[in-house]
Amino acid sequence: MTTSVEFAEFLPAYLAEVDELLASAQRDLLAVEEAVRRGAAQPRAVRELFRALHTIKGLSAMVDVEPIVSVAHWMETSLRLADQAGGRLPESSVEPLVEGLRAIEQRVRQLGAGKPASPAPANLLERLEALGPHVLEAAPPQPRRVVLDAEAAFASKLAPSERGQLEAGLAAGQRAVRLDFVPSAGRAAQGLTINTVRERVAKLGDIVKVLPLSGAAAGGASLAFALLLITSSDDAALLDAVGGAPATVRSLEADAPEEAAVPLAPLPPTAVPVAVAEEEMEEPEVRRGGGLLRVEVSRLDEAMEWLAALVVNRSRLTRAVTALTATGAPTRELTAILQENGRQLRDLRSAILRLRMVRVGDVLERLPLLVRGLRRTTGKSVRLELDVGDAELDKAVADRLLPALVHLVRNAVDHALELPEERVAAGKPPEGLVHLGCHARSSGQLEITLRDDGRGVDAKAVAKAANAPVPESVDGLLDLLCRPGLSTRQEATSTSGRGMGMDIVRRIVVEQLGGELRMETRKGAGTTFTLRVPLTVTLVDAIVFECAGLKYAVAVGTVEELIDVDALRVVRPAGADGLGLVERRGAAVPLLSLERLLGRTAPAQAGVSRGAKALIVRQRGEPVAFAVDRLLGQQEIVLRPLEDPLVRVPGVAGATDLGDGKPTLVLDLGALGAAHGVRRKGAARPGEWVS
Amino acid sequence: MPEVLVVDDSKVMREMVVACLRPYPESRFTQASSGLEAIEQLSLKPYDLLVLDLNMPDIGGIEVVEFVRGQDHLRSLPIIIVTTRGDEASRERALAAGANRFMTKPFTPDSIQGAARALLEKPQDAKPQDEASRG
Repeated sequence: MTTSVEFAEFLPAYLAEVDELLASAQRDLLAVEEAVRRGAAQPRAVRELFRALHTIKGLSAMVDVEPIVSVAHWMETSLRLADQAGGRLPESSVEPLVEGLRAIEQRVRQLGAGKPASPAPANLLERLEALGPHVLEAAPPQPRRVVLDAEAAFASKLAPSERGQLEAGLAAGQRAVRLDFVPSAGRAAQGLTINTVRERVAKLGDIVKVLPLSGAAAGGASLAFALLLITSSDDAALLDAVGGAPATVRSLEADAPEEAAVPLAPLPPTAVPVAVAEEEMEEPEVRRGGGLLRVEVSRLDEAMEWLAALVVNRSRLTRAVTALTATGAPTRELTAILQENGRQLRDLRSAILRLRMVRVGDVLERLPLLVRGLRRTTGKSVRLELDVGDAELDKAVADRLLPALVHLVRNAVDHALELPEERVAAGKPPEGLVHLGCHARSSGQLEITLRDDGRGVDAKAVAKAANAPVPESVDGLLDLLCRPGLSTRQEATSTSGRGMGMDIVRRIVVEQLGGELRMETRKGAGTTFTLRVPLTVTLVDAIVFECAGLKYAVAVGTVEELIDVDALRVVRPAGADGLGLVERRGAAVPLLSLERLLGRTAPAQAGVSRGAKALIVRQRGEPVAFAVDRLLGQQEIVLRPLEDPLVRVPGVAGATDLGDGKPTLVLDLGALGAAHGVRRKGAARPGEWVS
Repeated sequence: MPEVLVVDDSKVMREMVVACLRPYPESRFTQASSGLEAIEQLSLKPYDLLVLDLNMPDIGGIEVVEFVRGQDHLRSLPIIIVTTRGDEASRERALAAGANRFMTKPFTPDSIQGAARALLEKPQDAKPQDEASRG
């Protein structure tokens, strides 16, 4: 039995997992650094960091990425010592560890781009290797102030650092408790497993250790898990988190007056089997709260494509029913079903779009590390506050938005915040604040505010740099700031550079994402940027047609009808003004030459080419026909607002890629007609989806 | 139809192990992402082979081995420990606690498959090596 398993096939999954591990490692390292600055230990973060590096090392060995194995190995070695030393690291160790994570990240990127990982930098390996001895020096003996109930806490099974963690929690006035959970097949079917229980309990306190118990220790059940944790929650909340009885809670404090007298209380023997038996009768069902699933974005796109096909079909069905109704057929029920179907499609679409949502908090994971780096390069003292809650954003939007936010945070630290001495002189605390908050608005938009308490934008300096008069309003000031190439600094700073400024931010937020960017600023008090971006990208069901040799798209929702335009139906051919009349169901409808409106042809031609079509759009309730050459079909498109402000003209809703790799203009026919003095457009907008 | 429980907190690692063992005729795989989940699984269903990572949150592989060997019905469950270079010091502890085989990453598909085959087909090999040192 020989195998043909190629571990190289696991490379994509490997890269994804290492990416996740790196993200959590960065968080933990920042927590460690924070603790180091306060002179405190951070045992949990040190252990998690150690474990992440250990896993990265093992995985990298399997897929044969030696440079990452080496870096991870030396980081792991010093972290193992730090873990054994009770979770303490010397301050000098943080920088090499940060560099180590960065080195791994770089190599993961290289592999992701199909390149080989470059060799590990020798001097980094040396510095990481040299960390070991320093780490041991950082461990001071810990004073014990509180005694644990040795029996309840299984003293012999706890590492010294774990004991220390429990005792420190007690000393800090929290509760140290033991929570016993009894697993069973019935509970597992309800989604109550040790993994989910652990997740729930972790929200109520710091889990120090979990121990499996059997026999007498498990209180009569064949298996129980004892979770030892530090918490401020009460017994009821803890028991609730593990599904109530037969779970138990007891204090770990030796001299706790209320509970210490209770020794390892056996569980009520009768209750357990009955409850379990009842639960086992239930059909096993899909686990609830079953955690996370990684899905490739392309699979979600595929689901979206199938949905688009459904939507196209529904549009056809709608038209067929409309035609049927016009013949006087009894279509009431059919129409009702069609309406219901439209609602269901909308629900299905939002369900699929929700799958593409990522937590804003996860997207912004890199910002603390960025601020940390800026602190070092600028010499400024900065605190970054993230207040992002549970807000979510479409991955496509998040990927575009992050660079804009990175840029704003960079600007805030680099330009807006003053040096500590300047701040003190201005009567401010020496530490500057950058606050990033966001919340979803009911309008389907996410509002992000980025606030600093720095010096504010100096309107005069901006005006001088832009060689323009001092703007009167803050909007005018923002316009100046967003001029391409503007910089109020004469020299490039190492962090923000020069010339690459707010114009990029505005382009991402306004042009790419179709959002809004606003600013408020007060001299000496700080600046707040407010960004509003759509939660999702715009998907539009579109009619694709050809006109004067080019392809265009227009949203189906805006088009009322497609008609053939032949010589017989043209009441009056287009005159010098490009306006003609065409007959539709006995009425004359204004006919506009789209070619002419788009400036594609000279007005020499007259008459109508054979087989031409027209799209009928309503403007203020009045139909208007737009002549086109050829219809190519109907499909769902991703509407992208045009990025270049020079190409932004009324009547053009944006651009899309029809799959041929070329940009195709998406027209807003109503606005196009209006811009050429026909009539103002009505309520219809591209972006209307299932009508 | 051997039931195999693969325990590792890394999903990629679990999948690699499963890919290595899948050619073994008719084996069925269950994956657990922590030592605790493994112990829970073992209490819910009988297994023929346990493949266990050493380094996991809450309780590591050695503690799982110790717990498993303390259970009457799991005393002879074959256990393969999978771990990373640098953990060699744990090898003696794991074997003393009652693990049957020890694989160090990077291992080859053939080596882990050979170990699994030996343990599944020759039950006498599956006895803990040192009864006295059981935890």
